Amino acid sequence: MKHLKILLLMAGLAPAVAAHAATIEMTVNGLVCGFCAQGIEKTLRRNAATEDVFVSLEHRLVAVATKPDADIPDETLREALRDSGYDVTAIERTGRSLAEIRAGAAAKP
Amino acid sequence: MWKSCGRKACALALAALPLAAAAKPIAFAHGTTVMAEYGAGTMTEVQAFYAPSYRYSFGGGHLALDSEIDDRSRDITYLRFNVLPKRWNLPTAQANVFAWGGVGRAHVGETGEDEFAWNAGGQFDYETRRVYASLRTDLHESSAFSHRIDTLQLGFAPYAHETNELAVWFVVQAREFTGGLYDGTEVAALLRLFKRNAWIEAGLTQDGKLQAMVMFNF
Repeated sequence: MKHLKILLLMAGLAPAVAAHAATIEMTVNGLVCGFCAQGIEKTLRRNAATEDVFVSLEHRLVAVATKPDADIPDETLREALRDSGYDVTAIERTGRSLAEIRAGAAAKP
Repeated sequence: MWKSCGRKACALALAALPLAAAAKPIAFAHGTTVMAEYGAGTMTEVQAFYAPSYRYSFGGGHLALDSEIDDRSRDITYLRFNVLPKRWNLPTAQANVFAWGGVGRAHVGETGEDEFAWNAGGQFDYETRRVYASLRTDLHESSAFSHRIDTLQLGFAPYAHETNELAVWFVVQAREFTGGLYDGTEVAALLRLFKRNAWIEAGLTQDGKLQAMVMFNF
């Protein structure tokens, strides 16, 4: 009975986790000006799986929200940033929404 | 002849060295850059470039040169190809080496004749979100003239701007012209503002003349 409850709980949580996992956060070298962000956004928005893009110069961060049930392979992301003229040093899929990331970036230390 | 070739060789060598400048001739892949500069009455230039890749762009421009010393004037219309042979992406900084070359027609004011003209140049820049340095050289040649414009810019930002915030920079510019256009070094203090795809800078030279530039990327 206890195991059944755990399974039901996990099954209930799974869709929520999947829904929040549609944000890809990349750490990028070379982000120094607004023009950098403009070029990166333009490139990433060309991908059919992209819902929205956010770039933070302060946090060296490029975040991509993907459309439901869509993903962008790491190599495609690295190539997109390389073709924009920048270097990706890390890629992470997180449960943070783009709104949360924007709010976090806007909060000055 | 040898003297002329020496100048050309020097200019080409300078183009390959770490030179720097303000606006970049390649903004980003699939981007179009339009810029116009008013250089204190000695030079006025408009340019438009399209970049299929962040590595190169092509386009054209018009450069008007009016000597501060005598009645020399040139109106040069050109097609140009820009390349980015080297970029360094650091965690909090970026540095670039650009080079370019092109051909066009020049109207020589004092003779009234039109000449074939070519140009070559280069630029090196280094920037963080608070510090900026660039050096640029631009050579324009024809059978009737040879002018090189060397520009050094050093800038600092009072705060580190974020993506959608207004960027404010204080810039000091030093510029020299060869070929009898200006005697000495022209120094200007500039205020540069940019946000998203628009850039504007303006200031005064030591002679009290306006130095200004606008640029749009889209």
